Amino acid sequence: MAFLLLAVSLGLFYAMMYMGKRGGVVKVRALPAMEAIPEAVGRAAEMGKSVFYTTGVGGLSISNASQGPQTLASISIMEYAARMSAKNGVRLDLFTPIPDALPLMEETLRNAYELEGSTVDFNADMIHFVPEYDPYVAGCLGYLQRERPASTLLIGSFASEAVILGEAGNTIGALQIGGTAQTGQIPFLVATCDYVLISEELYAASASISQNPDILGSLKGEDFVKFGIVAVIIVGVLLALTGSRALVNILKV
Amino acid sequence: MSSIFKKQLVQAIAIVVALVMFGDFFLGTPELKAGAGTLQNWVVIISNMALGLGAINLLHSNTESVVRKDKVWPFSAWLIVLFGSLLGLGLSGYIIKGDPLTNSLYSWAMNNVYISLGETLYAITAFFVFSAAYRAFRARTLDAFVLLAAGILVMLKNAPVGEAIWSGFPVIGNWLIITGQLPSMRTFIIVGALGLIAYGFRALLGKEPGFYGGIKE
Repeated sequence: MAFLLLAVSLGLFYAMMYMGKRGGVVKVRALPAMEAIPEAVGRAAEMGKSVFYTTGVGGLSISNASQGPQTLASISIMEYAARMSAKNGVRLDLFTPIPDALPLMEETLRNAYELEGSTVDFNADMIHFVPEYDPYVAGCLGYLQRERPASTLLIGSFASEAVILGEAGNTIGALQIGGTAQTGQIPFLVATCDYVLISEELYAASASISQNPDILGSLKGEDFVKFGIVAVIIVGVLLALTGSRALVNILKV
Repeated sequence: MSSIFKKQLVQAIAIVVALVMFGDFFLGTPELKAGAGTLQNWVVIISNMALGLGAINLLHSNTESVVRKDKVWPFSAWLIVLFGSLLGLGLSGYIIKGDPLTNSLYSWAMNNVYISLGETLYAITAFFVFSAAYRAFRARTLDAFVLLAAGILVMLKNAPVGEAIWSGFPVIGNWLIITGQLPSMRTFIIVGALGLIAYGFRALLGKEPGFYGGIKE
């Protein structure tokens, strides 16, 4: 059953991507947090300050099964933020404690600044690798207090540093954009940030800002699968109310 | 190596790895299980190599900072001194008895300096939670008022004084947590997993630039 559901989902994604490619325009919901990134970078350009970006603690490894994908999704968003920063001649300072994600982050940041032909040259010093949880949090706090960046982007997999960094960003009056799929940390980002990517939006973010209709099609496919899940839940509730366990048995829950 | 070729190479490896892992999960034949196990071992080895590379990179950049007499060079010098000292202490314990923790100076530094500093930093999280809660619970709108009311009820459920005031507080608090919060959190988990599947699918098709170090199609 799991394989069948996965195959149907992937089939829907592919079908919607194909239709998007053939049909041209695909309309998907806007993500305010992604639309705010140019505003965050523009603010930094006007104030002559930097943009602070962090991927969160991310289980300290990109190979962490539940948190690694969030770090990867964050790097996709960082690529967009870096290109916006490069275009506007703004320095983006990236903080991470994840050693095995460093090469990918460095490559992404370098490509973004080089592709945009920025007036601010890419410099490896933009990436602040601070290993382990406590030194990483202390390093971020120190940077926020010393440099007082105009905007902070807290996007990735967070633990308790979500509230620490979010509040530290509030103290210096930065425009804050957060995003995580860690359910326990979502409330802290909602409380401290101006815009938040909630759960699945983290993965959809880089696709949502793409103008590529086939990539946007995958988001449309996701929405259809969500409708399907909601329908299954409603049917399940109705069946449960009648005392039937038919759906539970089919899904082998 | 051109960036396009580099992207195709990464994509090809990602597809092969994904097929093996999917095969192991859904079919679970001994061959696929062995292949998946080998790939997982590679991940551990590559991660450890990255750690070693990180250590070399750390020393290199901080040595450069000292040589250039950067603004932060005293901190870099201090880092190099501590790095060398702790590495020496740990290695001496490992060489002599096969365990770095057998060196009492190493254990002392870890237990009385590193762990203490870490726990101090962790403890200040409480103050950040207080100020975040104050920000979130200001009842300026109806939504914020509902949040504030729910927060107070759950707090009274958890605090012993709540039950002492009225035995209904734990009942209401439990209802809010089990009937209100749990399904909402599960919704986030379900759609998060769906988003992850879609992200992985786009990455395998080469549509996620971040997955390929910013290289576009």
